[in-house]
Amino acid sequence: MAGSRQPAAAGAAPPSRGRPPPGRRLAAWLSQERVFRLIPFIAVEAVFILVIIIPFILTIYISLLRWRANRPFEQANFSGFLNYGRVLGKDEFWMALGRTFYFAGAAVILELLIGFVLAYLLHRHFRGRRLYITIFLAPMMVVPVVVGYNFSMIYVDSGPLNEILAPFLEPFGIDPRIRWLSHPLAAQWAIILADVWQWTSLTFLIFLSGFAALPQQLVDAARVLGASPSQIFWRVHLPLLKPAIIIAVVIRSMEALKMFDPVVLLTFGGPGISTQTIAYYLWQEVWVFNKYSYGAAASILLLIFFAVFIFLGIWLLVRQRESVRRVDV
Amino acid sequence: MKRCFMQAAAATAAAALAIPALAAEVLPGATVAERALNGAKEYIEKHGLENPKLTMLLSSLYRNSMPDFTREWTELTGVEIENVPLGYTDIPAKVMAEATAKTGVYDIFNDFPYSMPDAVGAGVVVPLDEYAERGQPDFSGTAPGLRFQQYYQGSLYNMVLDGDHIILVLRKDLVENPAVIEDYRAKFGKAPGCPETMAEWEEMAAYFNTGEGETRWGMTFDKPLYGAVAYRSINFSYRHFPAYLGGLMFDADMNPTINTPNGVRAIKQFASIVRYMPPDVQGWGTPQIYPFWRTGNAFSAMSFPSIVGNANSSPDSVVKGKQLACTIPKVDVGGGEMVSRAPQAAGTGYMVSRYGKHPELAYYFIQWFTSESVGDRAIAHPKGFWDPFRTSNLTNEAITARFGRQFLDTTMENSKNAVSLLLLEGNYEYFNILDKHLASVMNANITAAEAAALIEKGWNDVTEDIGRDYQVAAWRSGVESGIYLDKFE
Repeated sequence: MAGSRQPAAAGAAPPSRGRPPPGRRLAAWLSQERVFRLIPFIAVEAVFILVIIIPFILTIYISLLRWRANRPFEQANFSGFLNYGRVLGKDEFWMALGRTFYFAGAAVILELLIGFVLAYLLHRHFRGRRLYITIFLAPMMVVPVVVGYNFSMIYVDSGPLNEILAPFLEPFGIDPRIRWLSHPLAAQWAIILADVWQWTSLTFLIFLSGFAALPQQLVDAARVLGASPSQIFWRVHLPLLKPAIIIAVVIRSMEALKMFDPVVLLTFGGPGISTQTIAYYLWQEVWVFNKYSYGAAASILLLIFFAVFIFLGIWLLVRQRESVRRVDV
Repeated sequence: MKRCFMQAAAATAAAALAIPALAAEVLPGATVAERALNGAKEYIEKHGLENPKLTMLLSSLYRNSMPDFTREWTELTGVEIENVPLGYTDIPAKVMAEATAKTGVYDIFNDFPYSMPDAVGAGVVVPLDEYAERGQPDFSGTAPGLRFQQYYQGSLYNMVLDGDHIILVLRKDLVENPAVIEDYRAKFGKAPGCPETMAEWEEMAAYFNTGEGETRWGMTFDKPLYGAVAYRSINFSYRHFPAYLGGLMFDADMNPTINTPNGVRAIKQFASIVRYMPPDVQGWGTPQIYPFWRTGNAFSAMSFPSIVGNANSSPDSVVKGKQLACTIPKVDVGGGEMVSRAPQAAGTGYMVSRYGKHPELAYYFIQWFTSESVGDRAIAHPKGFWDPFRTSNLTNEAITARFGRQFLDTTMENSKNAVSLLLLEGNYEYFNILDKHLASVMNANITAAEAAALIEKGWNDVTEDIGRDYQVAAWRSGVESGIYLDKFE
């Protein structure tokens, strides 16, 4: 037995002389150039797979099941494209989608116009400019819940907005008590206006940056050549601001198409379904009616619709940049 | 043969003797609350628990009142209860998320009784019958429409402490004003008072509806006096509509009864009175209706019963002591048959999570809290929103002091006609279909008949989607239990 112990004792060499401990070996392996350069890539890919790919695949899988959450998931069964067919055949889905584009379109146009005018007025230096910029940027920083609550108070039948409008409406025989939250059309505009109030700040900020980046020498050159202020605006400012305009359109459209907060906070989709946006419709189908599979199918379809829309915007943006680059060259 | 017979007889006798022994042993205690306390103590001892803790998903309405009772329970049993307040509109989604996630983070769910069917279907709550067999809660003194809403498909799942069946309130100062009485009598041949029928209520609303600046009964109205105020918005209309329908929403085979002469009449009547309400009413929920009623700018309100206590206790109220509570007026459901139905429009109950750590211990808290001796104190709690609903409330001095005798008598009378809202899986979808079409009628976008046809189609689609046979079984079970008071013809 003693003899058998001897070789083992001889073999137990101090760590420093033989192979390094596993931790050090791992560190050495990781520090190799061919391995180290892959670490960030693997980390990013892992996050991408965990946060995007797996939930996305799961959503597709759930969309192919017949499952409402009021039954255990174990009882769900495969239903193919049944949910997709149901979504596409549902009037409310299309109405909500159409309404979303209408809200987003109206809101984004107003935000662009107002934001542009404000930025144009404030792009030159004058006393108190910073104060105005701060004030115009403030709405964007207000929590949407607070915006919704404030507007719900403003829109009350006997609230401040109607009080302000009364002197202008009454001479024309129009009832000054506009039912901002209970008349279908007024409620739609109540939501659009709340969105405009909050997000014009963003377009203002984008345009202000755009104006700040305008090459002054082009403006000076135009002025030297005898261009009027109007010609300078239409022929110099506006063409050069096109990338900023497209950025504002794309960013705000992406957000406005997801319009949810003002709908929940002001009208809950009502009266009837007149202010139901697609985001609200989906929330209701999934979280109120427990139709998880239906909601998953609708989400996938929306992803496709919106992706087409957004890609179109990005394509315009890229094309515009390329044309500007060509002019520069 | 004889021996075999003797053996069989002995076995039968032994089995017969053993049955009571096998049946659940009733917990010691003279009252419901005592038995619950003893049950909790026994459970803690049996499982050797140290500092046990339960978590309750609590409707945020009770965040200022429930802690008084959970603290008391902790002092009595050593069981700590953490309250997680959440808006009531978000609770069902949380419950259903728990059904999928199975985290066990909640032991008790506090929500409306009509959230129960989906929770049961998803398997996230446990039946309480076995625990109740030992704890012996007492549901006597509670009207059938309220008592049986605690059950789904024959099993006890939810214990309710709230009589939130809707009520009608009139302005007492107006109906008792001599000038009003004289004028009203001249017009209608009788003094104003609680209306017998919905049609009469609308007639009264029309009579009392007064424009801004008008002078009537020797008074000048600086602001308009609206004839009525009631819930007419999405997420609220469905809670009131059963009062107008006055019967079952489906027949025995789950075919909707809305697209019938009675259904169309109910829709018309529901929408018709809106013209005497504030123009914004279709966007109003409780945060708007309660303060509006307190301003005194309406003659009548159909609402949750807590509107009376709220208007009596709010410092800004101008109708304090000027309220006359009435039972829900009757409707003509056809052939001259007059029916009054007071839907349990909200009301909070308590369910036990299947995935909680100690379902039995959670049950004992619920039994203790909903018992007469504790529950009555909760109803009397000045910061609570629990409403009176059982006979023991009538004799409770604190409850009488808080709500007033006239209201208490009326709400107890009203509870005899209390009916549950639709206790079926997918009910929120049925409700939504009803609400949005009622809104379309109120906005004159479609007629009542068109709305009835659309609601019928929508309801049938939901029934088919969930499974007609399944829904029919649940529906029949509910009707037979008496939660809707009406039975199949």
